[in-house]
Amino acid sequence: MSQPSPEVYERDRGMDAHNAVMRDIRAERDETYDAHEPTRVWLDEDNTPDGVKTSLTIILNTGGCRWARAGGCTMCGYVAESVEGGSVSHEALMDQIDACLEHERDNADEPAELIKIYTSGSFLDEREVPAESRRAIAETFADRERMVVESLPDFVSAAKLSEFTERGLETDVAIGLETATDRVRHDCVNKYFAFSDFEDACTEAAEAGAGVKAYLLMKPPFLAESEALDDMVSSVERCAAVDNCHTVSMNPCNVQRYTMVDELHFRGGYRPPWLWSVAAVLERTVDADAIVVSDPVGHGSDRGPHNCGECDDRVQTAIKDFDLRQDPSVFEQVSCECERTWELVLAEETAFNQPLAR
Amino acid sequence: MTDYFEVHERDGAARIGELRLDSPLRTPALADDVVRDAGSLWNRERDLLDGDDAALTILPHRAYPAGTREEVIDAFAPDYADSAAAVDGPTAAVITSDAPAAGDAADAGVDAYVLSNAQGVVGHASAFVDAVVDVRETVPADTALYLSGVATPLNVATLAYAGVDLVDAKRARVKGSQGKYLTDEGERFLEDLDELPCSCPVCQVPREEFDRAACEEHNVNALEAELRRVRRRIREGRLRDYVEGQARHEQWLTATFREFDQQYGYTEARAPVARNNELTAATGDTIRRPEIQRFAQRVSERYVNRFRNPLVLVPCSARKPYSESQSHGQFHDAIQFRAHLASMTSPIGVVPQELELTYPAQHYDTVVTGRWSEDEKEFVAEVLRRYLERNEYPRVIAHVPEDGYRDICERVEKAVDVPFEYTVEDHPTTTESIGNLMSTLDGELKYSKRERQHNTVRAIADYMLGDGAGDDLFDELNTRSRYPKLQVRDDDEELLATMVPTYGALAFTLAGARRWVDSDAPTKTVEIDAFVPQGSVLAPGVVDADDGIRVGDEVVVEGPAAFAVGRAEMHGAEMRSSTRGVAVDVRHSEEL
Repeated sequence: MSQPSPEVYERDRGMDAHNAVMRDIRAERDETYDAHEPTRVWLDEDNTPDGVKTSLTIILNTGGCRWARAGGCTMCGYVAESVEGGSVSHEALMDQIDACLEHERDNADEPAELIKIYTSGSFLDEREVPAESRRAIAETFADRERMVVESLPDFVSAAKLSEFTERGLETDVAIGLETATDRVRHDCVNKYFAFSDFEDACTEAAEAGAGVKAYLLMKPPFLAESEALDDMVSSVERCAAVDNCHTVSMNPCNVQRYTMVDELHFRGGYRPPWLWSVAAVLERTVDADAIVVSDPVGHGSDRGPHNCGECDDRVQTAIKDFDLRQDPSVFEQVSCECERTWELVLAEETAFNQPLAR
Repeated sequence: MTDYFEVHERDGAARIGELRLDSPLRTPALADDVVRDAGSLWNRERDLLDGDDAALTILPHRAYPAGTREEVIDAFAPDYADSAAAVDGPTAAVITSDAPAAGDAADAGVDAYVLSNAQGVVGHASAFVDAVVDVRETVPADTALYLSGVATPLNVATLAYAGVDLVDAKRARVKGSQGKYLTDEGERFLEDLDELPCSCPVCQVPREEFDRAACEEHNVNALEAELRRVRRRIREGRLRDYVEGQARHEQWLTATFREFDQQYGYTEARAPVARNNELTAATGDTIRRPEIQRFAQRVSERYVNRFRNPLVLVPCSARKPYSESQSHGQFHDAIQFRAHLASMTSPIGVVPQELELTYPAQHYDTVVTGRWSEDEKEFVAEVLRRYLERNEYPRVIAHVPEDGYRDICERVEKAVDVPFEYTVEDHPTTTESIGNLMSTLDGELKYSKRERQHNTVRAIADYMLGDGAGDDLFDELNTRSRYPKLQVRDDDEELLATMVPTYGALAFTLAGARRWVDSDAPTKTVEIDAFVPQGSVLAPGVVDADDGIRVGDEVVVEGPAAFAVGRAEMHGAEMRSSTRGVAVDVRHSEEL
């Protein structure tokens, strides 16, 4: 990859301002975490290009995202889930992996087919995860079918990914693209790279025989509901059109502590997206040439994607069902009176009167 | 330049304005049908829309929702001045009250401002008041303020009272879609209503046929109806009277107008010095109206008693002016010009006889039960104490009844040097009481009609123009004609001023105005360009105007080509920042 590091991008007023504010907000927190425990680990099922697979998801505690230390993304509170001081030793990282394997043994009959490793940063950034640890982890999971590792596009290289693919693992890089619209990614999310960097990363991954899973963010701050919905539809379509990007996962924004989104939400200037909007994106992009999924976090709560409170669980179930089957007819089976309110919000909400309904 | 919005009438911070579209819109009003949004710059570059005289074009915007920090606002602020200049037609800029001047939006030359953090402040009294005050004191006075997505039939009167000109029906519709039925006194779940409490056309169906779609329509109708009422009230100068009652249906609305009363600088600047209509004093909040507080302040700080006679304190009367009431007629007959008369009243405080016509002394109408609240007693006692500290009397005769009045007098008596004599038995107008009043003044000298008239003119000048103004302006003074239409002339019989009976002020002639300018009394001056005003001075002609000018004030108009006198139609700051509308109603002018 020829792209420069995050620091070089920090140059315009908007980004300076976002970073200054985010640093200030993040400074309010004072928890620290044990470097020998993973941030989170859980078992689930995931839709992959080879069908639905059992999965073990690991949020590795690596000291966190370097971009977040500069300020970082306006909605992301995961940085806080990292250790104090910033760096985690190889030994500590391997202790975390052992803890995850123990969790799997305790809770599943069979080893998961799919291993997903997120770091709230970049697994492929060697200042987060040293090459030694990365190789050891590849070896640990060499007997599984698939691996997903999270990374910013900057750090994606064929050489690093080959360490996984050469062991016979179907390997995907999960890239937090957030949106295909550079302006929204830059001004609303405060992410420094461009869509072209994502495209380059897809090419780089292909060289190692790895694939790319794009993560999108539905409704960053400052966008009205309809703008957020349109942005997602076009983003899904543009991602699906990139060679080697076979899956698009859309995360509806939830309100995380110690973020700009949290401040806006607290002051009455932000509402997470409607679950109807999530469903609408999935329905409208059904022809896109990729697996399109969404896993709304905190659905039905004030701080997560929600509808009226009556129908949230039903719509969430339909979304999860769609994730596995990719069949838009699941949405025909849910309806609620609040769809009219949502339609009004789509028609009437603008950036200057949001949120129009809670 | 504000080309497409003009304020026609004012009632405190509330205004009747005109959005000058092809088909003009009278504000406060719903903006739904007249707004064109050029779109957000957060998600893409936007082309400027061509100007359209039929609509208010919202310029391409960066809207900052509630909670956006100032660094971010400053960093992304678009250049509204450039885009406004490029659009030939009515335009609006989107700003936030947290940094209303970001990107020089205040000087952008737009006709309206949209408040992007409205959702965060509506519902929170102090945040809302701060937001409106900050925006209003930053942007030109003759621009419309638009709050989108927040108006309901319940809150729109208070929004207008604060100075909001444009709202929309978006929230009312959303509420309807949620099955919430809105009225000017609240919000109810449609399913809880067995009977629809409204007679708008949509509600004239059997209850079971009335669904959420109908509820949306009803909510918009109710909002429209409330806006009509609000516009009517502003024209009458009586929006505050309405809000004091209606806002009580919702805590944050009551808190809002109370918080505005705490923002004396903002509300007093916008409160007219006179109105032709009644001021209803029906709640405990009336006492904190800027008009009331200003009267009390001027009586305590500007007025001086010029009589050498004893003071008689009497209760107010329902009939105004007091001197035309039956009870005051009896007091007058008993006093026979041997004492100076001052009326004690809630919520005005103390009204010396010379100021009985002066707004709002002859305009307020209070609720009389004989039961005084502690607030009322404390207020009147404080005004009376300050009055007696400033004005020396040989004797104070308190001809007042028990309930409240006597209590107040006794409190004040302890705090001042002069002793009080009480003359009322049972009630002030009983034969015995009147007899006491008459006899207690035995041996006191009468003052002449001339003295009474001169003191009235000088007292009004003090009240209007400042401490000492009556003596400064009228060291030589002759009064002609009959009270209350006194004419003020100098020794050469030149007319200087006429007393205006409807609001107890002086209207100056050019000679009177020159005397005012030459005196030590602070002059309220409007400086104009080189023209001779006929009938009125329009805002664009104003070069400068004193901060102290209030709507209804006498003002001197001076410019390179003319000298004139008239009544202010705007407050001073508004004259300076406006580009449309009448600034001064000119009475007399002369070419220099």
